[in-house]
Amino acid sequence: MWFRHRRGAAAAALGAVAVMALPACSAEGEESLVDATSLTVGVKEDQPGLGLDVDGELVGFDVDVAAYIAGHMGIDDVRLVGVTSAEREEKLISGEVDMVVATYSITPARRTEVTFGGPYYVAKQDILVRADETGVEGVRDLEGRSVCQGAGSNSATRITEGLGIEVRELQEAETYSACIERLSEGSVDAVSTDNLILAGFLAEDPDAFRFVNNPFTDEKYGVGLPYGDVAACEAVNKAVSEMYQDGTAVGLLEEWFGETDLEVVRSVPQFEGCA
Amino acid sequence: MPPNSDPAAGRAEPDPPPARLRSWGPRLRGSMRTTPARLRALTLLCLLIIAGLFGSATVTLNQARDGLTVLGRDAGPQAMATTELYLALADMDAVVADVLLMGTDHDLGSGRDEALAQYDASRARANEALLQAASLTEGDTVEEFNVQAVLDGMGTYDQKVGEARLLNDEAQAPPGDVDPRALEVYREATRLMHTELLPKAFNLGLDSSAIVRANHEAGRSSVALGLVWVGVVGAAAVTALIGLQLYLRVRFRRRFNAPLLAATAGTVALTLGVVLALNSSGAHQSGARDEGLDAAMALARAGAIATDMQADQSRYLLDDDFADNYQQVYLERAQQVLFRPASTLTDYYEAIGEIPDAYPDLPGPDSTDPRDPGTLGYLGQSAQASLLSGREDALAEVLSAYSALQEEDQRMRAAAERGDTAAAIDIRMGVAHADDGVFTAYTDALDGLTDLHREEFTTGIRRGDAALSHWSWGLPLGSLVLLALVVAGVRPRLAEYR
Repeated sequence: MWFRHRRGAAAAALGAVAVMALPACSAEGEESLVDATSLTVGVKEDQPGLGLDVDGELVGFDVDVAAYIAGHMGIDDVRLVGVTSAEREEKLISGEVDMVVATYSITPARRTEVTFGGPYYVAKQDILVRADETGVEGVRDLEGRSVCQGAGSNSATRITEGLGIEVRELQEAETYSACIERLSEGSVDAVSTDNLILAGFLAEDPDAFRFVNNPFTDEKYGVGLPYGDVAACEAVNKAVSEMYQDGTAVGLLEEWFGETDLEVVRSVPQFEGCA
Repeated sequence: MPPNSDPAAGRAEPDPPPARLRSWGPRLRGSMRTTPARLRALTLLCLLIIAGLFGSATVTLNQARDGLTVLGRDAGPQAMATTELYLALADMDAVVADVLLMGTDHDLGSGRDEALAQYDASRARANEALLQAASLTEGDTVEEFNVQAVLDGMGTYDQKVGEARLLNDEAQAPPGDVDPRALEVYREATRLMHTELLPKAFNLGLDSSAIVRANHEAGRSSVALGLVWVGVVGAAAVTALIGLQLYLRVRFRRRFNAPLLAATAGTVALTLGVVLALNSSGAHQSGARDEGLDAAMALARAGAIATDMQADQSRYLLDDDFADNYQQVYLERAQQVLFRPASTLTDYYEAIGEIPDAYPDLPGPDSTDPRDPGTLGYLGQSAQASLLSGREDALAEVLSAYSALQEEDQRMRAAAERGDTAAAIDIRMGVAHADDGVFTAYTDALDGLTDLHREEFTTGIRRGDAALSHWSWGLPLGSLVLLALVVAGVRPRLAEYR
C-alpha cells in the first residue's frame, strides 16, 4: 500500500527537479553541421575554374575548397549539387543543401538569412579586355568604351555610378559567358566582374584576353551555412586558416588560375565572424 | 553445421541451459529477516544517498565556479585584449599615412611628434595584445602559427615604414606630395599590413571569441548534466527518506518521526536551493557573455575598422594612382561598421545622415522597399539589440559621431575632387586631431558605450559568483545536518532492540 505513496512522492520530486533543470538543458544541444555524418554542398555548375559540370562531374576551385572543408570537419560522405546564383539562399534555408560554396559573396543583407564561414578568398572586381587592346590600363580608361555585365549584377554600376565614369554603352547579357563571347567577337570592349570569375574564363583561352589588373572592390567569397550555425562557421574558419597554412589554398589557386595573369592573394583572408 | 550458416537452423537447436548463477536471494533475505537489520540497511541507504547528493552538488557547483573563473578572469579578458590587436595595428598604419601626408609641415593636425608618439604607443599595445593572444591560443597549432606570423610581420612592417619616413624626410616632401620612392615603400608596407597582419589579427580576435564560446558552452552543458544528477539524486534521497518514514510507521506504529520529516524537508530544500543557485548563476554568466563580452568585442571591432577607414582617407589623398581603390575600400569598411543599402559614397552619406534623426528607430525593412534589409553592421540593429535598458543615449551619441565622421569625409573628398589638396589635407588632419577631431569624438563615444558593456560583463560575473558563494559552506553544513537528522530519527528505534 505505501508503495504507491513512495512512487508518487518520487515522481513529484523528480518532476519538480526536471522542470528546474530544463532551461539549463535547452540552452545547448542545438543541431550543428559539425556533428553531421554527411553533407550536401551546393556549387556552381556553369562557372569555369570555380564550379563547372564536365561530363557529369562538378569540378573547380570552389569544389576543391568544399572538399577540403568537409574533410577537415571529418565528413567523408559529401554530395555535390549544382546551384545557380538566384537559388542559393532558398536552397540553404529550405535545407536542400547544407552548405553553399558557389562564388557566394558575403554581404550584410545576405547575412540576415545565412551564416557565412570564411571568406575563403577575397576576389576583386577587375576588367577583362581583348589581348590586343592597348588603350585600357585602368578603370578610368573605360570612359567612352562599352562594358558588359551579367543580368542582375551591379558590377558595371560600380564603375558608372560608384566611380562616376561615363562609359559609352552598358550592355547586359544573360550570363557572363555571353559577355565573354561578345568580348571575343568585338561587340563589346570590356567585361567587368570578380577577377576569379574572369580568370576562370581566361584560363579556358589564355591568349585571347588580358586583365587590366586594377582591382577596385572586395568580393568576399564565403561558405554559406544554415543561419545561426555558429559552431559550423567556426569549424569552417579553422579549416580555411589551415588550408592557407598548409599550402593547399595556394596550390589550388595555381591549379585553377595559374595559367592566367591573375595576381592571386596567397594569405588567409580576414574572416567576417560567426555571430 | 557451422554456426551462423542459417538463422532458422540456429533457432531450431535447443537453447543451452542457463549458466548457474550464484543465488544471492536467500542469503540476503536471511540477513534481512529481522526488523533492526532492515532498519539499519534502510538507514544506511538514506545516509549514502544524502552523501551522494552532497557529492554531485559539490562537483556541479565547482564546475559552475570554474566556468565563471575562465570566462571572467582568463579567456574573457584575453579575448578582449586580442580584439585590440587589430585596433593597434590599424592605428599604426593610420599614423604612418598621416605622417607621410604631413611631409614637411610638422604642425598639421595635432602635430608630427604626437603622431609618432601615438605610433610607439600602438606598437606597444599590439605587442601586449599579441602576448595575450599567444597565451589564449596555446596548444592550438593553427592559431599559434598566426600569432607567430603577426609577430614576424610586425618587424618587417616597422622596417618598411621606417624606410618610407626616412625617404620622405630626406626628399623634404611638402604636405600632400609624398616622395615617389617613399610612397612605393609605404605601399609595400600597407599591403603587408592589409594582406598579412590585419586579417590574421582580426581572425585571432574572432578565434578567441570562438574559444570563449566553446568553453562557455562546454561548461554550461556539463553544469546542465550535473543539474540533472543533483535532481535525480535529490529525488532518490527524498524517496528513501519517505520509505524509511513509512517503514517506521508500519513497524513501530508511530504516526510521525519528526527528525526524519525534517530531514526530508531539508533534502528538498537543499536540492531545490542548489538547482536554483546554479540556474541563476548560469543566467548571469550567459548575460555576462552575451550582453557584456560579445557586445563589447563587437564594438571594439567597430572602433578598429573605423580606424582603418580613416587611414583610407589619408591613403586616398596620398596615392593618386590608387585613389579610386582606397575610396571604394573606405565605403566597404564603412558598410561593415554601419550598413545601409548604398552602392556609392554619395548615397551612403545621405543614408547615414538620416540615422541620428530617426533614432531610436533605425531605418529598417519597410513596405516601401522590400529589398531594404535594414540598418546592419556593428553599430546597427545588433548594437541596439544588446543595448542595456536606459542607456539608449550612449548609442545615440556613437551614431551621431559616426554621422559627423561621414560629413567630414564628404567635405574632404569634395575638396580633393575640385583640386584643393591643401584644404583636403586640412580637413583630414582635423578629423584625426587628438583633441577636437571628429574621429576622436567618435572613439570617445564608442569607448563610453563599450565601457557600459564591459561593466555588464564584470557585473554578470560578480553576480554569478555571488549566487554560488553561500553554497560553499551551506552545502557541507546542510548535508551534515541532514545526516545528523537521519541518525537522530532512527537511533531511538534501534535502541528498543538492545
